[in-house]
Amino acid sequence: MYLDSFLDARDICVNPDIQNKEQAYSMLVDLICRNHKLPICGEDLLQRLLQRDAEAPTAYPSGIAIPHIRMDDFDDILVAMMFLPQPLMFGTTKVSWVVLIITDKTSSKIYLNLVAALMALSKDTASVQALTTAEDAHAAFSIIKKLGISIKIDLYVADIMNINTVTIPPEATLRELIRLMGMHSLAGLPVVDETGLFVGEVNILSLLKVGIPEYLTRMDNLDFLVSFEPLERLLEQQDELQVKDIMTLQPIILKPETSIMEAVSEMIKHDKRYMSVVKDNKLMGVVTAKDIFHKVIQA
Amino acid sequence: MTIMMLITLFVFVMTYIFIIMEWMNKMLAAMIGGFLIVLTGIIHQQDALMAVDWNVIFFLIGMMLVISVLKKTGVFMYIAIRTAKIARGKPIVIMTLMFVITAVLSAFLGSVTTVMILVPIVLLICGELKITPIPFIITMAIASNMGGTATMVGDPPNIMIGSATDYTFMDFLFNLTPPVVIITCVSVAMIWLMYRNKMKVSMQNRARLLSYREDTLITDKKLLLRSSIVLLLMLIALILQSVLKIETATIAMTAGLSLLLMSNRNQVENVLINDVDWVTIFFFIGLFMIVESLVVTGFIDIMAKGIIDASGGRPKTASMLILWLSGALSAIIDNVPFVAAMIPMVQKMSTYINNPTAMHPIWWSLSLGTCLGGNGTLVGASANIVAVGIASRNGFRISFRQFTQIGIIFTFNSLLISSVYLLVRYF
Repeated sequence: MYLDSFLDARDICVNPDIQNKEQAYSMLVDLICRNHKLPICGEDLLQRLLQRDAEAPTAYPSGIAIPHIRMDDFDDILVAMMFLPQPLMFGTTKVSWVVLIITDKTSSKIYLNLVAALMALSKDTASVQALTTAEDAHAAFSIIKKLGISIKIDLYVADIMNINTVTIPPEATLRELIRLMGMHSLAGLPVVDETGLFVGEVNILSLLKVGIPEYLTRMDNLDFLVSFEPLERLLEQQDELQVKDIMTLQPIILKPETSIMEAVSEMIKHDKRYMSVVKDNKLMGVVTAKDIFHKVIQA
Repeated sequence: MTIMMLITLFVFVMTYIFIIMEWMNKMLAAMIGGFLIVLTGIIHQQDALMAVDWNVIFFLIGMMLVISVLKKTGVFMYIAIRTAKIARGKPIVIMTLMFVITAVLSAFLGSVTTVMILVPIVLLICGELKITPIPFIITMAIASNMGGTATMVGDPPNIMIGSATDYTFMDFLFNLTPPVVIITCVSVAMIWLMYRNKMKVSMQNRARLLSYREDTLITDKKLLLRSSIVLLLMLIALILQSVLKIETATIAMTAGLSLLLMSNRNQVENVLINDVDWVTIFFFIGLFMIVESLVVTGFIDIMAKGIIDASGGRPKTASMLILWLSGALSAIIDNVPFVAAMIPMVQKMSTYINNPTAMHPIWWSLSLGTCLGGNGTLVGASANIVAVGIASRNGFRISFRQFTQIGIIFTFNSLLISSVYLLVRYF
């Protein structure tokens, strides 16, 4: 599937005379309602768009804003685009390209891939430059058509994983680990050695485990221990113990080409919300249950 | 010797070597051995499976269910911590009281379970008192094997002997509890002499221990009451076994299933996965199958004849021979596989001796030797391995040598007392 297959030159608007986000959305709504029959339209649709925007901003640092509505009693995917030669401020983000997407309630996969393709394109400054300076809608459409951007039908872990993940070397002390976890508010992170090889994972529970003697975990009830110094041992040993002493070796990992369904199923099966994505023993990124929630369910 | 016998001997010896050397998970070794003798056609599958003593298997499963519920009541932790407080934090008093409690609990719950419950608590107490837990752990492992000897439901070898013979719960109580009580008392005195002046505790550390709120441990009083009643009924049923004519497995399963129904109804699957030790269960099944091949091919008969010849056919000599031989061998071999092979042999001996009364001391010798011999070395009994394993995971390494140095003294002493007891009471 290609990006231009979802598009119609009628739904493209070039160099409009507008001052702010509301006007941009209003114009896109007019455009799409004129050309298509929708269950919700006009002011209603605009209000819903603005409301969603208030909940979670749709503008990305690469200069693209992708407002999106899932509609009941509707069975299609509609895309309308607007190119701005003079970027507008959407909150704190500079936007030169707005894409309105209307989908039914089920086609989240195609939607996500559509967004992924748009995001990739928005990082290609030369193409964006050409698009924002296109003479008219037909010119913009043919640029997109010529680019031949394909939309992947399947979604993989590689598409949603975080690439710039915080990692820790196996020789780091627990003090460094505690500092790093605190600084980035992380509950777990991959352990990567100096040659870039993935060697294991540490998480907050493996850290806390240092603070509680193993024999206590064998007891069903610890309520009687009123005077036990909590986690005293962890603080005492934070300079002596290293990450490699407490890390999980051979944790359950994902491959970049793992499907999202498989990733979710692995997370549920192993009750693990945090998965390292590894290929040929190299860490490629990290996927958390939260990523799936935000990028797949809430998208 | 036929080719069949050679194959049998090979499978048996290899399996036992793999178990003793821990080259393989013991359950896996026993299962492979068990099905190898079927696969090679030494015995039919039907006969191999018939050889499994299901009374033992279901007794073990029933007891595991009972214990899974009892553990949840927190009563064992309550007893252990209460004891430490009654001892006012005095290490030698805690050590001797723990020895006795371990022995008593082992007599009813089995040695491994008791050690699994009590060793973590002792690690905690010793940690608070800032004293080394190593002598506590070694002596408790020893106590668990002694206590397990006292009743039919204590150590697995006893339930296997009880199941293979006509002896009831009361027979074990009359014949084995007296020597075990004597052995335990003497052992307590030995501990007192060995460790009396070795451990010092500061007042501050003692105060930490005394601040424990053990009353918070019993969270479900209703469950405790109910399970106490079930336990009491189980004990009565065992005592009246000869009158009621109910087999041990049925008694244990009835108790286990009723407790499961009362407490964990919604978590039956969890209990079956986590609280029933299937590895042990299948280990037993495999052993029964392998030993049957020894019976069928006539090896057991040869061994029985050997013992009879060596003792000149005199029950007194045979009894002593069995006691000391079992004591020595079960110090090296895990006592379950050992007794699995010994039971059919003693049964065979009875056909040669041909005097039921004369057989009694021989059976009790087998039990005393096997159970108490487990204390001889670190690998002699499962309870030792479990206790030392928990200690090592908490940073207290106990070497084979360290355990054996102490274990051998207590074993020798136990076997000596057992010999005197057997000679005085039965001959």
